[in-house]
Order: sequence, then C-alpha cells, then structure tokens
Amino acid sequence: MTTIEANKKQSRGDKPVEPLIFEKHVDGAIGVDLPPLDVPETEVPAQLTGGCSTLPSFGQHDVMAHYTHLSDRNFSVDGNFYPLGSCTMKHNPRINEWGASLPGFSCLHPLQDDDTIQGALRLLYETRTMLEEIAGLHEVSLQPAAGAHGEFTALKVIRAYFADHGQPDRTVVLAADTAHGTNPASCTMCGASVETVRTVDGQTELTHLKDVIASVGADRIAAFMITNPSTAGLFDANIKEIATIVHEAGAKLYLDGANMNALLGRVRPGDFGVDAMHYNTHKTFSTPHGGGGPGSGPIAVTEELAPYLPVPQVMMADDGSFYLDRDREKTIGKVRSFIGQFGVLVRCWAYISACGPIGLRNVSETAVLNANYLAARLCEKYSMPFFDPKNGKFCAHEFVTVPQELLDRGVTLIDIAKRMIDYGVHPPTMHWPMHDCLMVEPTETESKQALDSFVDVMLQIAEEISSEIELVQQSPLESDIARADEVAAARKPILTFK
Amino acid sequence: MDYTQLNSPQREEMCAAIGVDTVDALFDAIPNEIRCKEELDLMPALSELELQRALTEMASHNHGAHDMPCFMGCGAYDHFYPVMIDQLISRGEFLTSYTPYQAEASQGSLQAFFEFQTQISRLTGLDIANASLYDGATAVAEAALLATNTTRRKEILVASTMHPEYIAVLKTALSDLDITITMLEATDGRIAPETVEAAMSDSVAGVIVQSPNIWGQIEDWDGCFAEAHRVPKTAAIAVFNPIACGLLKTPGECGADIAAGEGQPLGNALNLGGPYLGLLAAKDSYARKMPGRLVGMTTDEEGRRVFCLTLQTREQHIRGAKATSNVCTNQGLMALRASMFMTTLGSEGVAEMAKQCWHKAHYLASAMDKLDGWELKYDGAYFNEFTVVCPCDVTEVVEFCKSRGVLSGVAASGRRMQGLSSGNELIIAVTEKRTKHEMDVLVDLFGEVSP
Repeated sequence: MTTIEANKKQSRGDKPVEPLIFEKHVDGAIGVDLPPLDVPETEVPAQLTGGCSTLPSFGQHDVMAHYTHLSDRNFSVDGNFYPLGSCTMKHNPRINEWGASLPGFSCLHPLQDDDTIQGALRLLYETRTMLEEIAGLHEVSLQPAAGAHGEFTALKVIRAYFADHGQPDRTVVLAADTAHGTNPASCTMCGASVETVRTVDGQTELTHLKDVIASVGADRIAAFMITNPSTAGLFDANIKEIATIVHEAGAKLYLDGANMNALLGRVRPGDFGVDAMHYNTHKTFSTPHGGGGPGSGPIAVTEELAPYLPVPQVMMADDGSFYLDRDREKTIGKVRSFIGQFGVLVRCWAYISACGPIGLRNVSETAVLNANYLAARLCEKYSMPFFDPKNGKFCAHEFVTVPQELLDRGVTLIDIAKRMIDYGVHPPTMHWPMHDCLMVEPTETESKQALDSFVDVMLQIAEEISSEIELVQQSPLESDIARADEVAAARKPILTFK
Repeated sequence: MDYTQLNSPQREEMCAAIGVDTVDALFDAIPNEIRCKEELDLMPALSELELQRALTEMASHNHGAHDMPCFMGCGAYDHFYPVMIDQLISRGEFLTSYTPYQAEASQGSLQAFFEFQTQISRLTGLDIANASLYDGATAVAEAALLATNTTRRKEILVASTMHPEYIAVLKTALSDLDITITMLEATDGRIAPETVEAAMSDSVAGVIVQSPNIWGQIEDWDGCFAEAHRVPKTAAIAVFNPIACGLLKTPGECGADIAAGEGQPLGNALNLGGPYLGLLAAKDSYARKMPGRLVGMTTDEEGRRVFCLTLQTREQHIRGAKATSNVCTNQGLMALRASMFMTTLGSEGVAEMAKQCWHKAHYLASAMDKLDGWELKYDGAYFNEFTVVCPCDVTEVVEFCKSRGVLSGVAASGRRMQGLSSGNELIIAVTEKRTKHEMDVLVDLFGEVSP
C-alpha cells in the first residue's frame, strides 16, 4: 500500500456515509407532536382524500443527530477560508441573524395593513435610501429576490422605458465576453437578444464596443451590461468613455453589482454613468449565502427609469409614516409575490448600519488591500495575467491566476482545487472568467494571519507538485469523500431516492 | 464596526509586500473625476449594542402573528414549526456555506437538498423536484416557461381563481416573450372542466390551476387536467399548498405533469413575505429542462454513495443565453428548513396538521355561517381557507378586529389583492395554531361588528 492510499484509508477508512432520512425511517416514530384537536371533526369527502404517506420520520434526537452530522460535512465561512471569486464570502455577523429573528419582524404576515408594520416599513425605507446613496442613483426597488432576478427586473424596466418612449425595437443587449452567465440568461428571459463585446486584459475593448454598436445598429440597442470591477478583478479605467459611447447610442448602461465590494464609499455607479444596476446583498452586505440562498437583489435606477420600477414600493408619507405604494402608472408590474426578501433586508440594514459611511469605505479599501497582498505573495508561483505591481497594475478586490507552469507539470486545475480542500481551504472560483484560471477573492474580513496561512497552503501545494505530485493528483485525501463522479451523475441523473 | 481585522502596522506591512506606499495607490485605475469627494451620506456607524436597541425598537412598532391571532392566509400561513429548526439552521456550517459546487466540501448541503427533492417529489406525487426557486409566484412562472419550452407552443391557460399576485408575476414574466396568457373564467368560484375544454387547442402549452384557489375552494384538478390532456403534450400544471398534500389528493394523483407552489408553510416563518421558497416538481420527462438547481446521487472514486449538483448544462453559468432559466440561486436555507420540517413531522405529522386545518376551518366557517347576515361566498369544498361575505364594509370588519387584537383575514378588495374583488369578501385562513377559543372570539367580534 502506498503512502497516499494509506493516508486515504486512515482519513476516510470505511467510514459509512450518513444514511438518508429515508433509510432511518421508523414506523410510528415522530420528531414532534401536536396538541389534540379542540373542535369537533368534519368529515372529509372520500373523493377528495388522498395525500402523501411516504415522508419518513423518526425520533427527535435522531433528527438532531442527522442534521448535525450533515452540517459537519460542509465547508463554511465560519470554519474555513473561503476565497470564492465573485461570491464575496465575507464574515456573517450574528447580530444580523438575531435581528431578523425578532418576532416583531419574523412573525409579520405580508398582507397586513401598513399601520401594523410601521417598524418594518421604516427599516425597508431606510434600506432603500441607504442603497440609493451608495449607488448614487435616484431610486431603489427592494423587490428582486436575487442578483439574477435583479438583472431580469432592471432589464424589464429598461425595455418598458424604451417602449414608452417610442423605441420598442431596442431589443438587443450587449454584454462583455467575461460577463456572469446570468447576464445573457436574464436577457433571454426578457425577450432580448445578446451581442458579446470583447475584453482585452480584463477591460472592455472600446473599438469592439463601437463596432458592435455600429453593426447591430445604435437604435436597436437597449443596454450594455458591464461588471465593474470586471469579473477579471480589474477596475475598468475607461468606464467614463464606455458610458459616453453607450449613451451616445441612446442605450442605457447597466452595472452588474456583483463586485460592489470594491467600490463601497469610493465610487458611486451613478457617478460614472450607470443608469441601472443590481446589488447582491448576500455578497456586498454580508447576508449569509445559506448553502445557495436566500439572496436579495435590489436594483437602483436613474430618475428617468424610476417610473417603471416594480410594485410595491416602500414610501414615506408627509407625516413621517411609511406605506407601500402599489399604484405606479408605468410600473412593469410585480416580479415576485408580496414585498421582497424582507428577512434578508433586515440583515442588510444591520450590516450597513454597523459599518456606517467610514466603515463602508474601509470595507472596500481592506478588500482591495487583502486581494493585492495575496496576489503579491503568490504571483511568483501562480502566474497572474493582469497583476504586475511593479508597473502599477493592481487588482481590485479579487484576482485571477492561470498557474500554467504548475499545470505543465502534470496536474489539472481541479487537482489543485481538490488539494486545497485537504488543507481546509474552499477552492476559489474555477475556469471562469478565463479557461484554466482560479479566481481568488479573500474579502475584507480575513485577518492577516488567515491570509498568510492561505499563502502557505498555496505555496505548499506548488511545492508538492514538484516533489510529490501524486498527493495533488489524488486529492482530496483528507476529506470524507473522494472525488465525486459528476459525469455519471449527469449521464443518468438520479434526482430522488427510490 | 466594519468587521475588518487589520491594524495599521499590518496594513503598512502588506502595502510594503505589494510595493506601494499607501492603499490609495491600489485604486489608481479609477479616474479621479468619478471618485467620491465626500463621505457617503449615511447614518454614523452603530455599535452592536446600539444595533440591538435600534432593531428591538423597530420590531416593537410591528404587530403580527406573534401578538395577535392570525387568520390571514392567501399564500402565507401561520403554521407551527418546531424550535429545533431555528436551532439547527443557525449552525454556521449550513448558514455560511456557498452553493455546493465543490461536492467534496459540501456533502452536508448536497445530501440535505437531495432529501428535500425526494420529499417534495413524494409530497406532490411526481417523479422529480428541484432544489427550490425564489417563491410560489416565480415557481408558477417557471412552470409556465417549462411548459412553453418543452412544447414550443405559445399559449398558457390560467385559472382566474389563482392567487392574483401569482397571475401578476406570471404576466410580468411572460410579457416580452410572445406568449399569450388566456384566463379561464370561474363558475361559482371554481374552474369548470368544460371551461378548460372550450379553451383548449393545439397551441396550448400548459394549463395552470391552483387548488385550493384564492377563495379557498378546492378545484377539480382531475377534471381540468383530463381536459388539458386531450391535446397531447400539454402540461397540466397544479399550483398546490404543501400542507394540503397531507390530506387531499396530490397533484400527481390528479394527473398533473408539473406542480408549483409556495413552500413557506413547511417550517418557514411569515417574515413579512420573504425569504420563502418556490417548490417545483415534475414528471421525469422534464428533468433536462427544469430550471434551478438539481442535486443528483452518484459515487465517488472509491465507490461511496455521494451527491453533487447535476445537469448543470441546463444552467446559466454554462449555457448563458440558451439556459433553461436565468435562475442562479435556490433558497437553500429555506429548503433546508422545509426539509427539516418534513423530517420532524413525517407523513403522520403533516397529515395530522392538515386534518386539524381542515377541521378547524370547518368549525369556524360553520359558526360564521350561523351569524345573521354573514354567509360563505361559495358552497364548494375548501381546506384551510374560506371566504365569507360581510354584511357591512369589509374594511370596517378588519379594522374593528384589529383594534381588538385579531388579524381577521384578508379583504379581497383593494390594491393589495390586485383588485380581486370590489365586494365585501373576507378570506379567512385557519391553521392548526388557531385555538377554539381564538375562533370563538373572532365569531363574537363579527357578531359585534354586524349592523
């Protein structure tokens, strides 16, 4: 038995995986009880009765144990360095969770009268105005449920604006070749077609932007969707010029706000010509990712686009009370049920309020400092196409590495990523926005010690690739499972337990 | 506090490692003219103690299901859930993890979502379910798109008895896509199968019927879906209440191809409308067109049963403009809550909850029906929600009950319900949480407010 196999055996052994709830079912056992019925029964007509009778159940202690065991099998921001580029995995303060769980917030029915929920409406109104100020834009809608939903909503707003201004043929949206996949997908959901604009060195190629506008026809373009800092982790130095080109074409500039963490308090999108944008509160404002949600994707728009925002909108009346305005003549309508991701927005309010204006500026400053520090310490072993501090080329809050020299020695990017898991580090974003790249975003809440430990891990992996390459190729060795066969999973999908 | 951790010497040391004098130098790429010249105009930072005070203060200005018996429903219900869920969901390993793209570092979330998918498929009586969508309304819109995408047809028949907000969201979602929405008009508060029959044609991609519907009435899914299926491949789309599936025939039992619904009743707090979770289940044949995340069972290199996200080629991060949907996130934590809820109660518990909803709603409705001047709007069967016509202005009734500390129901009139009615209907929901005493009080209040 080789050392590596022995390692695997030792760490994983024949340890059974956690059984599924369906395998734990005990007839008659139940995890919680209900009070006895306190009213007379009314017969249920036979033709209506049926229902599911196959949900498993077992005793309360074992339910606790099951989910505790499952939680043990997750990496998290709480327990691991989690430098997932573009996802801004910052610390999630628990005061925010505490606030959202107060009964005065969590027990409100969404159709209650405004006069019973004045505190909640005030919180929403303050969140709205804070997000307007941070964006430097006229009005924010808190309706969208997530970033992609915000893109969809804002594009609908832009289309409605043009339709209302006699330009319904503006149905083409431009997006950078490094755009998040949601950008083009959201366009499709809005019935818009997408044309791609090239980037060079992580920046929009101005001549290509002009060419695309010319070939599509300026009067057919609704918007240019840009991410700034770009998905390559760079401030677009030409952003003002881009805005001018887009506006001269009569189109709107849309900002994918995924990377707002690098701009907070330093630059306001409205000040560089953005007409509409979305936030990801779960990235920038520290609402927890929750294993994939809930998010919240408020959008901010200029005054001319504001009449088309979705309903309802939270407003302050002349007497200082708050209300939900459901009547907007030109609104695109409703994009989700009820009022928005309220519980998420409580957390967002608490985070912004904790930071204050000086703190927010320090957030972006520290996020950028942390990323550049990591890049500087790693760039010798992990080559970085856009990072060259000696020539004044820095990254924003995240950086991209294409570790070609390491890959040439016979490992894949996935090998490196899986080896990171062995060291308790969650792998960065991979293969995006470029082929064979890792995108690293440490966020501002990591300490210098944590950053240095991460550097040690990455240098150690580089060293292993030279000295004991199998360690990397066969990783993960320490995690509770070996690599999952994702190809087989997709070829013959098993989506439920039978 | 901004939650950063660096002190000044560390900042200097890090700048030195980068080769800059100040952090400002790192922002050189940003043109001077667009930089903020002043501090953001925001309130100064609050300490944690101040935050506790401010949040407590704002929360104290709200009244809701925590301090009033809540008979409001219409898509959000005040159900019981065990405290254990709040405790378990607070574990940072669930709360602060990301989408489980890295299977080897995310088996906990992945297995939980796989269990959730299975529970929802069993609950609905359908083959598969995704790992959740934003909410009930957007799940309905995605179900409609699933139908148009799989049939390449351009018309959706929609029951006018569906939640008016779901109809509104559906209209927004489909408005730029050249898809026609044809409303099915109700007869006595329900959709007659003959109405579906009359509207069916080869161009219909899907037929959407919600049951119980906005008035609380149980629709004839069997009849409506049988008519839908007279045209091959048309998707019968059931919009369902997950608790009802513990007692009444499930979407699958009634012939639905796709089921969409609001998952809030499964262990999620009211939260003033969000975050909730959208449920979407379907027959196997829709698997490769399903929107949202799907977790699949597979094996690892050493033969263990493991889980991973799968069929990702459907999704936006691979397919861009050709993706089946732009949905990126699921409501992971809400789905986990729902799954924990179902695991804790099991079929037996969900069935018991559903039965109590039924019996209590019928107790209250019959008591109300006996009040002079008050009557049930419709005669048909209902589950946990029913509609009464008030003998006076419904807003007066709601205000009066509120002044006496009871949330009496949802008035069907007004903008909140998208102009569902101009009459004096009050839609009343009764969950297992409502006691006989609370119901008797409500009946007394109605008696008092009667003209």
